[in-house]
Amino acid sequence: MHVSKALVVDDEAHITHVVALKLRNAGFEVFTASDGEEAYEIACAELPDIVITDLQMPYMTGLELCEQLKRNTATEKIPAILLTARGHALSSDDLSKTNIREVLGKPFSPREVLSKAAAMLGVNLDESTGGIAA
Amino acid sequence: MKIGRTLACIATAAGLVGGGAAAYLALRVTGVEGTSAMSVALGSVVSAALVAAATLLLGYAVDRRLGALRRSLLDKELADALSVGGTPHWLRPLVGAVVESRQSMAQETDRAVSRLREMEIRHRISETEREQIATILNGLRDAVLVTDPFDELIMANEPAARLFGFDLDRCVHTPIDEILHDEALSNLIRQARESATPSDRRHVEYVMSAQSGEGGVIRRPAHYDVTIASLACGAVGAPGSSGGAASGESSGGLVTILRDVTREKEISQMKSDFVSQVSHELRTPLSSINAYVEMLVDGEAKDEASRSEFYQIIKNEADRLGRLIDNMLNISRIEAGIVQVERSEVDFVQVAREAIEVMQPQAKLKNISLITKAGPLVYTAQADRDMIHQVVLNLVSNAVKYTPENGRVTVSIENDDATRSVMIAVSDTGLGIPPDDLGRIFDKFYRIDNYKRVAKGTGLGLNLVKHIVETVHMGQVGVSSKVGMGSRFWFTIPFVHEGRAAA
Repeated sequence: MHVSKALVVDDEAHITHVVALKLRNAGFEVFTASDGEEAYEIACAELPDIVITDLQMPYMTGLELCEQLKRNTATEKIPAILLTARGHALSSDDLSKTNIREVLGKPFSPREVLSKAAAMLGVNLDESTGGIAA
Repeated sequence: MKIGRTLACIATAAGLVGGGAAAYLALRVTGVEGTSAMSVALGSVVSAALVAAATLLLGYAVDRRLGALRRSLLDKELADALSVGGTPHWLRPLVGAVVESRQSMAQETDRAVSRLREMEIRHRISETEREQIATILNGLRDAVLVTDPFDELIMANEPAARLFGFDLDRCVHTPIDEILHDEALSNLIRQARESATPSDRRHVEYVMSAQSGEGGVIRRPAHYDVTIASLACGAVGAPGSSGGAASGESSGGLVTILRDVTREKEISQMKSDFVSQVSHELRTPLSSINAYVEMLVDGEAKDEASRSEFYQIIKNEADRLGRLIDNMLNISRIEAGIVQVERSEVDFVQVAREAIEVMQPQAKLKNISLITKAGPLVYTAQADRDMIHQVVLNLVSNAVKYTPENGRVTVSIENDDATRSVMIAVSDTGLGIPPDDLGRIFDKFYRIDNYKRVAKGTGLGLNLVKHIVETVHMGQVGVSSKVGMGSRFWFTIPFVHEGRAAA
C-alpha cells in the first residue's frame, strides 16, 4: 500500500515536531524543514504528496515556498496547507499563485491538520485509532 | 499749595483752548490758595478736566453753528445785493434758484463730511478687526487659506505661508495655483468653490507627497485633514461688521484649513503594528501549548518519556508566554511613564555578581566562563536596583544564549568620569551581529532571522534594557559587534539622578 509522504515546515521546532508526530502516528512518512529554502530542496528531492507550512519564516516565507513549488513542473501539483498567525494578511491573489488549499490559523489543532491533509489526499482515517485504515 | 497752583494753571491752559468759560473756574481755584487742602487740589483736577471737555464740545458746536450762520449770511448778502442793486426782475427767479442750490449744496457737503467721518471710524474698526483676525490666525497651528470667488488668495496665516513657501505680504490676490504648487489641492479648492452652497463644509483627507521644501530640505509625505468651508456660512465672518462684506453677498469665497495629522497617523499605525506583532508573538507559544495538550488528550504520546517531554514543552512555552506578557507590560508602563521607580545607591559590582550567579547554571551547560571585571574603586549610582538587575541579567542571558560552547562572557564595571556615570559592559565571544541588524537590535520584537534557531527569545529583552537605561535612568546604551568575533553591549547610569521624567 502507498504510504503518503508529507513535508512539515516551521521555524518553531516544537510545531514541526508536534505536526510530524501527529502525521507519523496516522501512518504518514514525514519530512521536516525549518525554513523555506530547506523545504524547497527537500520537496524537490522527495516529492511529497502534501506540504504543511508556516507562513512567517526566515529566508523564504511559506507563501514564497508554495509559489516556487507551483512554478516547478516537478512539484507544481503538490497541495499545501498554510499555518499562520496572520491569516488576514493574505489576499486571494496571493493564494492563486500557489497550491494552498487550506489556511489554518494559529493556534491550530493537530487533529484538524491531519483530517484536512487526509481529506486532500483522499486517505481514509480509521476513526478509532486516528490512523490510516488498512 | 504749589500743587493747587500748578493744577489751576493746567486747568486754565486747557480752558483757554476752548474759550473763556474755563477762566472763571480756574480763577476760583486759584482763589482758594490759602486753604491748602489736598481735596481742593483733586477737585481742581476733576473740574479742570470737566471744563476742558465741556469747552471742547462747546467750541465744536459753536464752530459748526458759526459756519452755518456764515454761509446763510453769505447767501443773504448775495440775495440782497442782487435785489438791492437793481437786479432785473426777470433775473430774480434765477438768483433764487442759485441761492437755493447753493444752500442744498452746503447741506450736501455737511452730510458728505459726516459720512466720511463715519466711514473713517468704520475703516479703523475694521482694520483693527482685521489685525485681530490675523493675530488669531497666526496663533493657530493649522494652515489657513482664504480665497475669493476667482480662486485668488485674500488672506492666509503664517503656518500656511511656511507650508507652501510663499510670502504672506506679497501673495494677496495671487491665484492659488501659483501659490500652492500642488495641483491636487488647487483642484480640491476649485471644485469645492464650484459646487459650494452657503452651508457647505467638507472634510477631505489629503496627502502631500514627499518634496523638497525651503532650503532643499526633503519633507516626508504629510497627511492633512482638510476642511473647506464656504465663507457665506459664516466660517470666517468679520464679526460686528455691518458693511456689505458680511455673509450672503460674499458667497463664493472659501476658507481652507489644513490640519497636519501625520503624527497621529504614525502613532495609530505604530499602535496597530504593535498589536498585530504582539498577537503574533503571543500566538506562537500558545500554538505549541494548544497542540501538545491536544496530543496528550488524543493519546498521541505513546510512552511515558514522550508524555513527560510534552509536559516539559507545555511548561516552557507557558513560561515564555508569561515572560512575554511581563516584558510587554514593563515596557508599556515605562513608555506611559507610570512605572514605580525606587531609587537607592546601587552597588553595580554587587548587582553584576548576582546576575552572573543566576546565569551560572545555563553557562555551565555550554561550558561558558562568566567573569566579572572591576577595579578597586566603589561603583555606585542612584538607580532602581531591581531594574538594573534586570538590565544586567538580560544582557548576560543574551550573551550566554548566542555564545557557542567553551566561550567567555565578561561583565566589566568602570566609572566614566567624563559623563559622571557608571559604565557596565557585557562582552562575549559569540556569533556577533551583522552590521545591517545592529541599528535595529534594540527595537521591539526585532530578532535576527538567522539566529532565531540558535536561541529562543521574545524580541523584547533589549528593548526593555533600552527603556530602563534611557527612559527611567537617563543613561545611554550601545553595542559594537563583529560577526564571528562576538559582541559588546554597554550602558551607563549617571552617578546622580537629576531628571524627573518617567519617575
